[in-house]
Amino acid sequence: MSKNDEILVKVSHMTKKFGDLLVLNDISFDVRKGEFMCVVGPTGCGKTTFLNCLTKLGVYQLTSGEILINGEPVDLAKHNVSYIFQEYSAFPWQTVEENVAYGLKIKKWPKDKIEKQVSEMLDMVGLTEYRKYYPSQLSASMLQRVSIARAFATQPDLLLMDEPYGQLDNSLRYKLEDELIKLWQHTGTTVIFITHNIEEAVYLSERILVLTNKPTGIKKEIVNDLPRPRDVTDVAFNKLRDEVTDLIKWW
Amino acid sequence: MNEYAIQKRKERIKFTIVSVISLCVFFGVWYVCTAVLHLKPDYVLPSPVQVVEAFIQKLTQTNPDGATLFGHIAASLQVALTGYLLGAIVGVPLGIAMAWFRRIDLFVTPLFDLIRPVPTIAWIPLMILWFGIGLGAKAAIIFVSAFVPCVINAYAGIKQTKPVHLWVAQTFGASRREMLFTVAIPTALPLIFTGLRISLGTAWMTLCAAEMLASNKGLGYMIQLNRSLARADLIVVAMLTIGLIGTIFTVGLNALEKKFVKGGRRG
Amino acid sequence: MKKKRFDPEKTIYAVVAIACFFVLWWFLTTFTPVKNTTPDPIAVLKLLFESFYTPIGSKVITGHLLVSLRRVLVGFGVATVLGIILGIAMGTSKWASAIFKPIFELLRPIPPIAWISLVILFFGIGETSKYILCGIGAFTNVTLNAYTGAQNVDPELVGCARMLGTSERDIFFRVVLPSCTPQIFAGMQVALSTSWMAVLAAEMVGAQEGCGWMIQRGSDTLNITLVMVGMIVIGLVGMLLATLMRAIERRLCSWNIMEG
Repeated sequence: MSKNDEILVKVSHMTKKFGDLLVLNDISFDVRKGEFMCVVGPTGCGKTTFLNCLTKLGVYQLTSGEILINGEPVDLAKHNVSYIFQEYSAFPWQTVEENVAYGLKIKKWPKDKIEKQVSEMLDMVGLTEYRKYYPSQLSASMLQRVSIARAFATQPDLLLMDEPYGQLDNSLRYKLEDELIKLWQHTGTTVIFITHNIEEAVYLSERILVLTNKPTGIKKEIVNDLPRPRDVTDVAFNKLRDEVTDLIKWW
Repeated sequence: MNEYAIQKRKERIKFTIVSVISLCVFFGVWYVCTAVLHLKPDYVLPSPVQVVEAFIQKLTQTNPDGATLFGHIAASLQVALTGYLLGAIVGVPLGIAMAWFRRIDLFVTPLFDLIRPVPTIAWIPLMILWFGIGLGAKAAIIFVSAFVPCVINAYAGIKQTKPVHLWVAQTFGASRREMLFTVAIPTALPLIFTGLRISLGTAWMTLCAAEMLASNKGLGYMIQLNRSLARADLIVVAMLTIGLIGTIFTVGLNALEKKFVKGGRRG
Repeated sequence: MKKKRFDPEKTIYAVVAIACFFVLWWFLTTFTPVKNTTPDPIAVLKLLFESFYTPIGSKVITGHLLVSLRRVLVGFGVATVLGIILGIAMGTSKWASAIFKPIFELLRPIPPIAWISLVILFFGIGETSKYILCGIGAFTNVTLNAYTGAQNVDPELVGCARMLGTSERDIFFRVVLPSCTPQIFAGMQVALSTSWMAVLAAEMVGAQEGCGWMIQRGSDTLNITLVMVGMIVIGLVGMLLATLMRAIERRLCSWNIMEG
């Protein structure tokens, strides 16, 4: 993946308190354009809060610090951000293709472009024959694929993913991870991917951000330049994996 | 067909026959008690035969209560549907607004809770005094009875909206208004339909009472007037007609609901 | 379900809203043409208090209340017992279902109020017809809910009990009945409000006392103040009955209460 040194996301001294409880503690880092960054940390260390703050959803206004995308403060109407949640978030009242088209409709793309994009996305995640199905008729992995297709469809500058494969079994996970890499390489989107699964982090990322326990801060940034396609049985792979695992153990 | 299926089918047939026999017994006993034994005078409890005769007579005759059966039905439907539609048109958007806009919720809910416990029937005398005996009073009464379930169900429907879905819309940059129309309202549709169904039921029920006390046409009126005329057979005709139309409404709305509420039952 | 946290913003809005309501009411009935038809809130409250010691018709207001309540409770009580028996029978026995369900389905769509004329012709304007009308109001709902409840009893539970050697009688009283209770209670709540409405309707049509009669009397004598007082009292009683039912349900069915 060609290294583009242009910085897309700049986070400076991000701090978040819920009342008196300090959750995120003065976090600063950069994300380069087109980079795939994974964020790992012990369970309950505030990873989701971390991600939510990046997009200022709902209650998650920063207590202090700033987040800049392309030099400007985060603004969801202006910046093209997509988010894939941990929970299944496809709209049950719409078909698969309507779901995938949702973001495009909100962003007011022209109709024919929407159709083309939707077909392309469905094809990339392998759901073309299910386009008229409703979410209640789909399996778990298919539901996540719908969310992924919907997220990529808007050609986002930044894609945030919060443990999207946490509830799937291993073989499905491997398959979806490969699909994700394919989509990422195809679109050049910047991805921040949260997971507690270290193997997944090592498999997907170009850089790994290791967080500490609450109050959350950055323990270490690890560059991951293993060549693709990656092999989980590779020696170098497992060496990196052990290195990260050691950082997470909290004794 | 295998053994099990055959046996099931036999059982079903057996029980259907039992049901049919039961109905026959019911009508039989009714007939015997009235036409044969004359346990009670005709004008108090008619026999099934008399009911059928009255029904046929009513199809064309306006005696003795001022309109043919269809005339009464039309009058009742007109009142019921007017009040119902008004109730729905005001109630559903109000419920949605109350659930979506916090300020409106805080202000309107206490007022709504004041009105809610008063049963619709208790409104009848007040409406008569305000509007007199006519379409206005009746429609107003039915409006109140349809209005309440519509508001409650629309409110509950919007409140059910999943935060995740709202967040999805938000990340795509949707405005608050877009979130209301593309996420909240679609989520609420099943419950809104339930509200519409329930309020049609209550509207139809209240209609009876309204017409008994404040009308000179309609099925409820038919029941009331024929009591003073001691024509129990016509009363029964009216009762059965009311029941039948009520059933048609329920079945109709259920079918509409299946067609328009997409996504099927959630889960 | 609402949390019991004290929310100052909510209370302020509620107080303001209700105050606005009363002010508007008072304003309309003092300064606009409406004042010729509608009493102002103070007159209504005055009559409300007076009615506790000045009789309306033959009784003070509490007397009327008790009369109406008596009618409801008798009709409701009897109908509930019958309804539970029939409902559970239909739900557990295919024979009972085949015999009784068709008749039930035939009569069910007829609203209780539509029965008033027939019942009065048959039984007169005495107490019996009031009881019967309240009963009809309650019966359909209770039966239907008992029926659904009995149908949905977990067959595994019954099978378990049978396997452990429980007698059929005990299975009914200790497995089926408790299983159905939440469903039955839901039906009873609706049934109670239907009964309450039925008694009002019956009293408005043919009675000498009771809340419904009171309102009708107000209507007949063009005494809107009385009508409004009646409505307030009826609303309060309705609320009380509903709260009472919920409290009883919580006691009996505490294992089934879903939070949130």
